[in-house]
Amino acid sequence: MFRLLKGFGVTFNYFRKKNITIQYPDEKVVMPARFRGIHRFFPDKCIVCDLCVKVCPTDVITLTGKKSEENPKKKVIDTYNIDFQGCILCDFCTEVCPTDAIVMTARYNNLSSFNRAEQFKDIHWLSDNHVYGHYEESDPVPEMGERGERK
Amino acid sequence: MSIKTETMTLNMGPQHPSTHGVFRLLVEVDGETITKAEPIMGYLHRGSEKLAENFIYTQFIPYTDRLDYMNAMTNNYVYCAAVEKLLDWEIPERAEYLRVITMELNRIASHLVWWGTYLLDIGALSPFLYAFRDRDHILDLLNEISGARMTFNYHRIGGVKWDAPEGWVDKVKEKVKVLRENINEYDTLVTGNEIFQARTIGVGKLTKEQILNWGISGPLARASGLKIDIRKEEPYSIYDRFDFDIPTQEEGDVYARYKVRIAEMYESLKIIEQACEQIPEGDIIHKKGARIMMIKPPAGEAYTRAEASKGEIGVYAISNGKNKPYRVKLRRPSFVNVAILQDILIGQSIQDLVAIFGSLDIVLGEVDA
Repeated sequence: MFRLLKGFGVTFNYFRKKNITIQYPDEKVVMPARFRGIHRFFPDKCIVCDLCVKVCPTDVITLTGKKSEENPKKKVIDTYNIDFQGCILCDFCTEVCPTDAIVMTARYNNLSSFNRAEQFKDIHWLSDNHVYGHYEESDPVPEMGERGERK
Repeated sequence: MSIKTETMTLNMGPQHPSTHGVFRLLVEVDGETITKAEPIMGYLHRGSEKLAENFIYTQFIPYTDRLDYMNAMTNNYVYCAAVEKLLDWEIPERAEYLRVITMELNRIASHLVWWGTYLLDIGALSPFLYAFRDRDHILDLLNEISGARMTFNYHRIGGVKWDAPEGWVDKVKEKVKVLRENINEYDTLVTGNEIFQARTIGVGKLTKEQILNWGISGPLARASGLKIDIRKEEPYSIYDRFDFDIPTQEEGDVYARYKVRIAEMYESLKIIEQACEQIPEGDIIHKKGARIMMIKPPAGEAYTRAEASKGEIGVYAISNGKNKPYRVKLRRPSFVNVAILQDILIGQSIQDLVAIFGSLDIVLGEVDA
């Protein structure tokens, strides 16, 4: 019986300690810079080398290129799609990309949708995904509050 | 006058909260005594071994994360180690230390999940919250280094993907102190509790013979008095450099398994502390390892094994000299350990079913692969 009360002692001790939970929809955790969140695509950097398509384990990336108007020897990206129904966010596409054209942001929410077709994200959606992440040349957008800090 | 009774067949699962997944147990009961138990699995089968044959070597690493998702780092390691054995590569020192730190952190996280959910299964709600609070400390650390909270995909063939961020090792040292204090608290909260002891002491006993006959490994074997731990017996990675003990118990009941797992968390903390002290500067990946599309081991076969939180995990890989493996066989500890249910449950009362089943600590992702 004594040990049972001692156990309750641990519980009661927590009444005077600080709160460790966060109120999710109001405050959100900021993930670290390396976090493998939803992709961002930089169309200007892409050299259409097709490596991300080859390395993708779930075959969710599709792309097409076209001849550049300024320099007919070069290729530029035309369409670039990721099907997030199958993407496992493994990060291999950003790992093999020689020019860092595809990067991962720290974004982890707002990919839910009412139909499957909306999970299919095109080049415009992916290049508009302005959330900070493990890449340079971009202004970090502190979209979400600091962890545990109340707004 | 005796009343003639019939046995009753009871289906536990596939959707039962205490299985933490989809698992079906066909139980035959005579009154309140179990006379037959038959585990039926495969509801979560994804064909990981077959998938590996169609992937280049590196592409399979995220799939090993999804076997035992509570202890993904060790799965990552054991697969990479098998391919490294085929390639005969020397791994940089710093990479080995980072691997050991992440694997041991993950082992504690895995045992914490077991601790919380097991007590939840037998009716204690609050330990679950304590366990997940401490697990979050670990997951935050692993998130910082690998970029994910559970499916890390961090180890690479020939090293690790990323170096530790600035100040990460110091953070780990601090967290080790916090965790040690918190795990002490668990002892006060649960270990001595009379209700818990009445529920677990003498329940679900496993003898040494049963352990050996069924091929059981990990904390289950150590709770029955067998001192087997691959980290000591056949030190992989750099485990021979650390000073730690193998906690064992003689009783073989549920309470002994509980005590072994709690003691193992302290040992893991000891290893992490030593690794953080010794970690050198240097490369984190073999010079050919960073080009993940180009890995092509020579023809041959290799088996590596490691001590995961559930038991012995092994990978047997055959290469035929191409960029894809010819065959990958996974020895999953949960799959082997779950088979003991047929034997251990006979003669037990139906009230102890969940208490025994939970103490095996199986993960269905690993049972079905």
